[in-house]
Amino acid sequence: MVGASPLRRRLSAAACMLATAGIARTARAQSWQLDGSALVYGEKARTNVVEPVARITRLFGNGANLYSQLTFDSMTGATPTGAVVTRTTQTTTSASGTTHTNTVGTLPTSPFSDNRFALDLGGAMPLGLVTPQTAIHLSHEKDYQSAGISGSLGIDAPGHLTTLTVGGGYNRDEVNPIGGIPVGLTSSDVTGESSRPKDVTTAIAGLSRVLSRRLLVGANFSVMHETGYLTEPYKVVSIVDPNATPSLGDDGLANAPTSTLASETLIHENRPSERWRRNVYTTGVYHLTADIVYLSYRYYWDDWNIQSHTMDVKVRHDLPEQHAWIQPHIRFYTQTQARFFTFGLLTGEPIPEFASSDQRLGPLRTATLGATYGFRPSDVPGELTIRAEYLHQWGKTPSSSDVAQPDGVDLFPPLDIGTLLVGYSLQF
Amino acid sequence: MSQHRALPAAPPSAPEHREGAWAIGFTAMGCPCEVLVDTDDPERAEVVASVARNEALRIERKFSRYRGDNIVHRIHSAGGAPVAVDDETAALIDYAATCHDMSSGAFDITTGALRRVWTFDGREAAPTDAAIAAALAHVGWQRVTWRDHVLTLPHGMEIDFGGIGKEYAVDRAAALVADDGSGPAALVNFGGDLVATRERREGRPWTIGIEDPARPGEAAAYKVELLSGGALATSGDARRFVTSGGKRLGHILDPRTGWPVMGAPRSVTVLASTCLEAGTLTTLACLAGERAREFLEAQGVRHWIL
Repeated sequence: MVGASPLRRRLSAAACMLATAGIARTARAQSWQLDGSALVYGEKARTNVVEPVARITRLFGNGANLYSQLTFDSMTGATPTGAVVTRTTQTTTSASGTTHTNTVGTLPTSPFSDNRFALDLGGAMPLGLVTPQTAIHLSHEKDYQSAGISGSLGIDAPGHLTTLTVGGGYNRDEVNPIGGIPVGLTSSDVTGESSRPKDVTTAIAGLSRVLSRRLLVGANFSVMHETGYLTEPYKVVSIVDPNATPSLGDDGLANAPTSTLASETLIHENRPSERWRRNVYTTGVYHLTADIVYLSYRYYWDDWNIQSHTMDVKVRHDLPEQHAWIQPHIRFYTQTQARFFTFGLLTGEPIPEFASSDQRLGPLRTATLGATYGFRPSDVPGELTIRAEYLHQWGKTPSSSDVAQPDGVDLFPPLDIGTLLVGYSLQF
Repeated sequence: MSQHRALPAAPPSAPEHREGAWAIGFTAMGCPCEVLVDTDDPERAEVVASVARNEALRIERKFSRYRGDNIVHRIHSAGGAPVAVDDETAALIDYAATCHDMSSGAFDITTGALRRVWTFDGREAAPTDAAIAAALAHVGWQRVTWRDHVLTLPHGMEIDFGGIGKEYAVDRAAALVADDGSGPAALVNFGGDLVATRERREGRPWTIGIEDPARPGEAAAYKVELLSGGALATSGDARRFVTSGGKRLGHILDPRTGWPVMGAPRSVTVLASTCLEAGTLTTLACLAGERAREFLEAQGVRHWIL
């Protein structure tokens, strides 16, 4: 048979929506769905990630499905070590066990390259008003292994306008850094241990409701408990000599050194071995006459004192030609710093129990602007999507006014990230 | 649905055993309806058929043009004022608006005024150009204001769900019958528009004959065997036509010209996943007139033209 025309696809979708609206689980034909994508992610002058993903789903006539997904990540580039920006040359150890010399006046980074393989298997099986789902996850990197299992139960109220979801998951990870587990808050590299475990337990409860034919709202709450080795083994903290730094921060932070800093010491970071993370996530989907608006807000807080807010807006707009659509996307994110986050420690001061200079635990804001374009090529079956996103991150440097950076040294320089994703989806 | 007057619904027929399935017939929306249930248990078949029949009668009551107690009556008696409609009516209107948009105005649910000036009983009786022009002043979806469940129909205009109502009823009835897929497979047939919910037991096909409208009651011109679920709809002008200047004109009216479409096939059948889709495609094919076959081939859809 010839491939369906754009007119027929639109008609088919409209007819299907009308014919099945409000009716539970209409019998569907069995089919396969193939999804493939390739993601290219680049931080300016830092990490580059190439991530192809392939997923095959078997859709059964009764609404059940089974899927299998393979992911491969290739990461190369440089990641900030946590050391402060200085005007002198620094040497750091690296993830791949080599040494690397940074140029002066830039954020010290360490080069790395790693590959990650992940396998995900899962399925769902509707049983009347209840839909159990389960999934397993396995991933492997040369210095990180992860295995997890999760399950959830979707419970529809009669009429299928309200759905309650409860679920949970458990992940067992193993951190085995090159060179072994470092001793936290020392310069030593040796503990004699080659790996440490990390356990993550998650519980989630959510409610979604169709308020009208045009409006769907949802809210969920999740709690995640992490225990074990939560430290980043390759991240370091600088101990700065106050005698060499004319200006000091008022909260124990080392300010930007303005003169030579020959005798800076680097120690391994150290984080607590437990973390409670909580999320409240609310969504709204509104169907305008033709366009669809997706709104979401997330509030996150944990017992490391990080709080964050995420606002996200997407608008899907169908284009008149060729069953094509475009979806602009904008997102704002703001986060407070972890209580043990520091830009650097001071020589002579007592070393705290926990310290990290990992920027991901620092005070930061990001803005993301992007768009997705989807279309069905005329000579190939299936749908192609192309998503491009640009993210800008601002750090918040220590607030006191004497963080003079006369020679352009920035402790938390802005970061630009570009993402390009090409996806393909086919049902057969 | 369009030709039906509000009469008390006749009871369904007794189950009749036919090739491993039980068939139950009834009348709804002005046409003979039948539900075939792939089961050995006639009582179970009656339960399934009653679900389909109740849905057909519900939709008929709600969308018939010939009742004084439904949403269509409320819209027609509003005299040009806005009318708020319920979700189901809004979904049907949205669908009709989509079809109007996709067919560049050929598909239209506001052709009521035009239908009144054309009488399709085979006579030599085309209306005058003046009568057509007068009717066209009250035709055209583009004159209607439709926004978020509120419909404003200019005074003198009509809407008619006849072109999609029966197919919609078939899809809804089939979906209700199919429910979660645990019951027996069924074939829901309302006046020749039909949906098979899924495959039959033991790999048997659903066998559907397509009758040649020129030879009613004779052996089917085509036989379609459905091995799984699917929908078939048929449109044509077998019995309803008018002649003008010796030419036979079908009853498919083009709302943009006010005239019947020239050269439309006598019968068009389409196989699709929903009856609405199949029915809309047959209507659009008929509206394409002589280019009906070309139109259907371009849609990449299984079809039978007579």
